[in-house]
Formats: sequence, structure tokens, C-alpha cells
Amino acid sequence: MGGTDIQIAICGSAGDGTIACGDILNQAMADAGYRVIAFDVYPPEIRGFGECMARSRISDRAVHSMKESSDVLVSLNDAHAIAHVPEVHDYGAVIYDDAPVTRLHEGQHISGHIKPGQIPYGLPARQIAEQATGAAKARNMAALGFLAGLYAMPREAFERTIRRKFATKAAAVIDDNLAAFAAGYERGAATFKLDLVAFAPPAAAASGSRPVILSGNAAVVRGLLDARLETLFGYPITPATPILEMLAAALPKHGGRFLQVEDEIAAAAATLGAGFAGARAATATSGPGFALMTEMIGLGVMAEIPGVIIVSQRGGPSTGLPTKTEQADLDIAVHGGAGDAPRIVIAPTNVEGCYRCAGKAFELAETFQVPVIVLLDLYLSNRLETALLPETSPFAQGAGKRFSPADRSGPYRRYALSEDGLSPRAIPGQIGGIHTITGLEHNELGRPSDKPEIHQAMSAKRHRKLAAAVDFPDLRITERLGDDGPVDVGVLAWGSTAGEAREAVERARAEGIRAAVLKVVMLAPLPLAAIEAFLADAREALVCELNYEGQFANLVTAATARRLDRLDAVPGVPMAVGRIVEAIRRLAGREAPRAA
Amino acid sequence: MTTLKEPIYLEEKLKEIQESGRLGYRSRSLPTWCPGCGYFAITEGVASALNALGVAPHEVVIVSGIGCASRFPFFMNAYGLHTLHGRTLPVATGVKLANDRLSVIAIGGDGDGFAIGGGHIPHAARRNVDITYLLCDNAIYGLTKGQISPTTELGFRSKIAPYGNHDAPLNPLMMLLAYGASWVGQAYAGDPHHLAEMIARAIEHRGFSYLNILSPCVTFDKTNRTYRALDLAVRHLAETHDPADVMAAMAEARDRDHPALGLFYRELRPTLGDAMADIARLARASAEDPVVSGRPAE
Repeated sequence: MGGTDIQIAICGSAGDGTIACGDILNQAMADAGYRVIAFDVYPPEIRGFGECMARSRISDRAVHSMKESSDVLVSLNDAHAIAHVPEVHDYGAVIYDDAPVTRLHEGQHISGHIKPGQIPYGLPARQIAEQATGAAKARNMAALGFLAGLYAMPREAFERTIRRKFATKAAAVIDDNLAAFAAGYERGAATFKLDLVAFAPPAAAASGSRPVILSGNAAVVRGLLDARLETLFGYPITPATPILEMLAAALPKHGGRFLQVEDEIAAAAATLGAGFAGARAATATSGPGFALMTEMIGLGVMAEIPGVIIVSQRGGPSTGLPTKTEQADLDIAVHGGAGDAPRIVIAPTNVEGCYRCAGKAFELAETFQVPVIVLLDLYLSNRLETALLPETSPFAQGAGKRFSPADRSGPYRRYALSEDGLSPRAIPGQIGGIHTITGLEHNELGRPSDKPEIHQAMSAKRHRKLAAAVDFPDLRITERLGDDGPVDVGVLAWGSTAGEAREAVERARAEGIRAAVLKVVMLAPLPLAAIEAFLADAREALVCELNYEGQFANLVTAATARRLDRLDAVPGVPMAVGRIVEAIRRLAGREAPRAA
Repeated sequence: MTTLKEPIYLEEKLKEIQESGRLGYRSRSLPTWCPGCGYFAITEGVASALNALGVAPHEVVIVSGIGCASRFPFFMNAYGLHTLHGRTLPVATGVKLANDRLSVIAIGGDGDGFAIGGGHIPHAARRNVDITYLLCDNAIYGLTKGQISPTTELGFRSKIAPYGNHDAPLNPLMMLLAYGASWVGQAYAGDPHHLAEMIARAIEHRGFSYLNILSPCVTFDKTNRTYRALDLAVRHLAETHDPADVMAAMAEARDRDHPALGLFYRELRPTLGDAMADIARLARASAEDPVVSGRPAE
């Protein structure tokens, strides 16, 4: 390795401009050609004194998770930042405002908490901003400028980003921010650097394609738009709201329609209504809203109506932890609702996957005539990541068997029994395709029937038709990484935690442990053949996920009868890579290597 | 209980219907309602209204929820959605937003609309989504055998209210007027010609039209909303009633002892489809790329 792989943490109080600093840092470094992954922690309150933390990992190669320790901590508010000093490793740096606005008592100033081996840099951020702009408002830009100057980061990329970020504001706002940044930058560049943090120039991007930096939510939006989403119905809920907001603005530009409806029940209902009418329809929500949608998933399964439901999980149960991440809605996604209701559930593992899964969801929904749930979590929704998105849409239009009046013999049978369980779908406006869908059990014509042989045959149809979903092309339903062939430890992971699992497996392999990870993207139906093949290769198998009950491990164990080691946690933040490494070592019978 | 020697709809009767002008709008399924149910008249009314308006069956979508009235789509020759209890209006909104060219009729009972589905009505009304909502108000849950509903009279006794209904009934018309529905009318299943005419006018209206249809449940309500009682109670709105005057409409709607039939209120204002067209224009005119990094605001 030996290249650039640096994590910077910027910590402040709500209103300090912490997240804005992180935003500019991420955009600028991505612009300069680095690979960036960034995740912010912010309080549920909009104002007040909640803690804001913007962490950015900047690397010259693809990275899959956040680091556990940071190389640099920038404090915009010591009261919050003091607690994070320990996350800065030896020879890392702590940058702080040495002339804060209020008088601090002993112990309240961060300088008294910096540990031996950490390098402190105090700067009068407030004064620098005041001298540069006549006001203290751009104090955060002065601190950011200092950071950029100290490490000789590409100045033009920052200035471009600042101009872009404040493009809609008055010219004076742009000038003030640029002036404060410049003053901070010069101060930083003139400061003698004592720490070991250094940025090597990034490797040139391959074949003219430039990675873009965007959040999981934005990638979902781009995926939906590229798949030509036609209607989106939604009700605001953290952390899915940005999807609704972006599409409220973007969808009408692309000929689609957005409607904020009265609740999540209506959102799911209107999505199915539009799906029945032949539109590509979607909704986006989080766990509590999704719980309300389960009755409509039942209807979608029973009546075989396509629809896409994006669910970004947060801490639960109930209102739970609205601004913390968790993976505890897997059970309800796979099983939620009344009766045997088989549906498709896919969970991307990174930002690029968010794009792919959101777009592919329509092809799945139309091919299999069923609601498709795309399961994200807050961490994946909100984190920024450099991703390679295709120049032109890779998504197909109008998938699935469709009714054509020419093929008709006798009355139209909407639910005609077939070998693959799929029947041609007619949409309103088509002559000869008239039918009524119902949530009642029905015969091939769609007429209500409670005859046992019909319920048996139709239940089998609804299950059978999904069997082919696990082989759906271009979705990367499972992906094995790490060592090939038999391994000491095989790690199964889904959703965002697959990133941490992958990093952990790479670290374990660097310690000489034979290990591999299987990223499972399709969670219903389970790609059993791939999972069983992976488990057969694994002497020990570990599942790591962010929920208390081990919901994915339960699914796999129920399907394979294999007992699995479990690493379950509900910290509200991504799983610590070190914990996964420790578990792998324990299962491999290894001890931690001595510190060099 | 009234017993009829022959079912009302024999094959010959169906044939007769299908040979008349209304033929295309009735399905081959015979209604499953009790003989004498007011809903037969509504079925006939919708068929003759569609026939009069000349809407082709394959361009009609009928959306219902759960309940006796919600069985309606099965008996019509049109695209149909027999959905979930109370969810008629949001499903219908989705259909209409997906394809403006479809004629969308939402139909359901008083329990489906005002109990479990009560949260959806104000929003469909205020959005002025261009659909027709036929509310078949029999003031009872018939499909589950006689429980009280949000429009059941005070004191009505049933197995589930053995000591009499203690909750005051809602006034659907006043609610819809207050919600901002742009077309509000009332009809009576015992006056089928007027009913058919009102259904046609409701469908014709550009915007959200609400038709309250008073309809007796001949099986579970022998005392309150019977044909006999309604025949005596109903009256037609006076010729002088001005459907542009919402306060006059409110005053008429308050009279529950002598329910008025006819058009209470009508207003022409932009529909949800119009709003969507405006938004599309504004969005296309804006140069900004709205899909930025997508991170939540600090």
C-alpha cells in the first residue's frame, strides 16, 4: 500500500458550518481525482447545540468503509470535539481555534486534552475570518483553508467547489468565503508541519472516465431517473426525505410526476395504482413508514402489481433513532404483512450499488409482476462516495410478459397458470384486456374464489414465479471477494456492512488468514446456491450485521440449517472494522499481531 | 325478510341488459348483493351514465375498497381494482396520475370511506384530482353482517352496539364541502333515473366529484334507512338553489331529517393534472440540476 489513505474528522456544533466544511473538502478532493468516502453524524434537531461530525476518508484507491481512527481532527467546537480526541492516532493532528469567542475554563479547551504523540495546531480562526471579511461568519472557511494549506491540498479545486456551493447566494457571500479560505490557506501553508499526514498526488483516472461523488440517496435518484421513473409518491421521513426532495425537483424535468401524499399508506397505494395503470412507479420511506406500507405489499403480491419501494433503514423499533443507522428492517422487508406474501428484496452494498439496484428494481418488478423493495440504511443513504456511473442508462424499458389482443383466445385470463408462474399483464386502455384485480384469492380470470385447489395453485404460482429472480442478469446478486477456494473464515454480509466486512477480510488476509467475504445483494428470494457454495468453502462462517437479533443470519440458518457465528451490534453507526477483524481472528484461531 | 321467488338477475335479464345500450358496461358476473339492495340501482346507474357519456369500457378504471359496495368492479365490464379496506382514493389517485386519459371512478361504502379511509378523503378533495367518488351510504357494515358505521343514526341497535349506537353520525356532505371538493351532490338508490343522471354529471365534472348515494340495506337495517323511510324523507333541491353558493350548500347539507337530492355545490378550479402540467413547465424552465450530492442539510 503506502499510498494516500487519510481520514479527516471535522467536529462542531449545529450552526458552526461543520457539514458545509466537510462537503467542500469531499467535493474538492474528489474533483482533484481522489477516491472519497464520507459520512456525517448530525443531531435530530435542526438548530441548538447538537454535535455535528463530518468524517472524510480520502484515498488514492477504492475504499469501502470509514476508518476507525482519524488522521486529523478539526475542532470548530471544543465542547463536542474533546470526546473525539482519542480517535486521532499517534502522529495525527488536532486543529483547533485557539481564540474561541467565549471564555473557557480549564479543561474546556481542547488543547488540554491532546495526548502525547498527537500534534496540535492552534489557529485564531475567528480573527483570521474577521480580518479577511470584516465578520466572523466565515470562521469555518478559515479553518478549512488552514487544513488545506497545511497539507498542501489542491487550492484551485477548493476554490472551484466554494464557488459552486455558494453559486445561488449573493456575490458577497462567495467573496467572503473565498477570502476567509484564502487567509486560512496561507496561514496553514506557512505553518511548520510536524505530523506524518501527507497527500501523494492521486493516480490518473482510468480511460477518461471520472468518478463522481454522490450520496447513496442521490445515486438512488439517478438510478430511478435513468430507468425512467414516471411517478413518485412519498411522505417525508428521515433518512429518505432527500430522495423525495431531489425527485420533486428532478422528476418533472424528465416528464414524470411527484406527489407528496397524506401518509405512507397512501404513498404505497398510489404507487400500486400507478403500477396497475402501466407506469414505472416508486415510493421512498424508512422503517416506520414502511411498516404502514406492508398491507399494500400484500395487495401487490396477491394482485401481481409491479412497484418499487425504497426503504432506508434507521434505528428502531417504533420512532427509534431517526438519525442513526441500523439494519433491523430486514425481517419486515422479507416477511412483513399478512399471509404468505413472497416479494423481491434487494440491498445495495455501496453507492454505486444504490444506482444499480434502484434502476434494476423496475426490471425486476415488471418481469416478476411483484413489489420490489430496495433496502438501504441511513449510513448508505447519507454517505458520500466516489462512484463510476455509466454515461448512458443501462436499464431496459418495458420488461415482463405483456398481454396482446392478437394472442387472445377466449376470455382474458390475467392469472393464467403457466410453467414459470408468470402471466401476460394487460394495462388499462388496452382493448380486450379488461380485468379486475383483487386482494381476494382469485382464479385465473381474477374472479374471487376460496376453493382450496385454487388457493393452493395460486400460492404455488406466486412463489414459483420468483425462482428465476436469483439469476437476474447485471444485478451482482452475490459477489465473492478475498481468497478463492477453501477458506478458514467466510464472512457473509449484506447492505452497507458489506463494506466494513470487505475491509476486515482484507486486513485479515494481510495477517495471513485465509478469508473471503460474500456480499449478498438479493435477500428475497435468497440466492441459496451461491450461499451454500460459499458456506461449503468456509471452515468457519461469520455473519456481521447492524441489528440485535441477527436477522440475516436467521434467514440463512433457516434456509441452510448451517449454524453461523454472528456479530450483531446496534451502535447506531457503521460497524467497527476492528471488531470484525477480531472475530475473524478468533474463528481462525489466530492472535492479534504485535504492534510494529 | 323479503323473499323473492326468483333471483332478480336471471340469464335472460342479463341478456336483456347486454342487448340494450348499456350492454358493454356490465360484466358476465351477476351481483352478489341481497335482493332489494340499493346497489343494483347504482350498478345500472353507472352503466347508463357511461353509456350516455360514450366512454369506452377499456378506458374506464373502477377502484373500490372493501365492503358490499366495493364488490362493484366485479360486476362491471371495465378495468377494476378491488383493493384494500379504505384505500380506494389513494389507489385511484395513482391510476389517474399515471394516465390522465383514463376515466377513474372510485366507489365504496360509508365504512370504507369515512371510518378506515377517512384520512384520505380530504386530500383527494383538496387536490381536486379528476376522479369521481361514488359513496354508497347505507349507514351500516353489510358485508360483515350489520355493525354500526360512521353514518349510523344514534341509538341504532346491532349485535356490536347492543345498547344502541352512542356516537353521533357524520355528515358526509358537510365534510366534503368543508374539504373543498369541487363537485358535491346527493342521490337516492330509490330514485334510479335521477341517480343515473347525477352519476353522469359527476363523471362529466372536471375535478374531484363526490356523489353521496343514500341506499338502504334491506337485510341488516329494518328500522332506520329503509326504502319506506327514505321515500318519505327525501326531497329534491329547489330550482332556486345556487350550486356556486357554498354556504347555501352547507345549509342544505345540515338538514338530515329531509335529505336533499341534487347538485349541492360545483366549482371549476385547476385539477391535480393541471398542477402537474404547471410544475412540468416550471421544472423544464429551470436550468439547475436538482440532483446534487444529496446529503441532508446540517
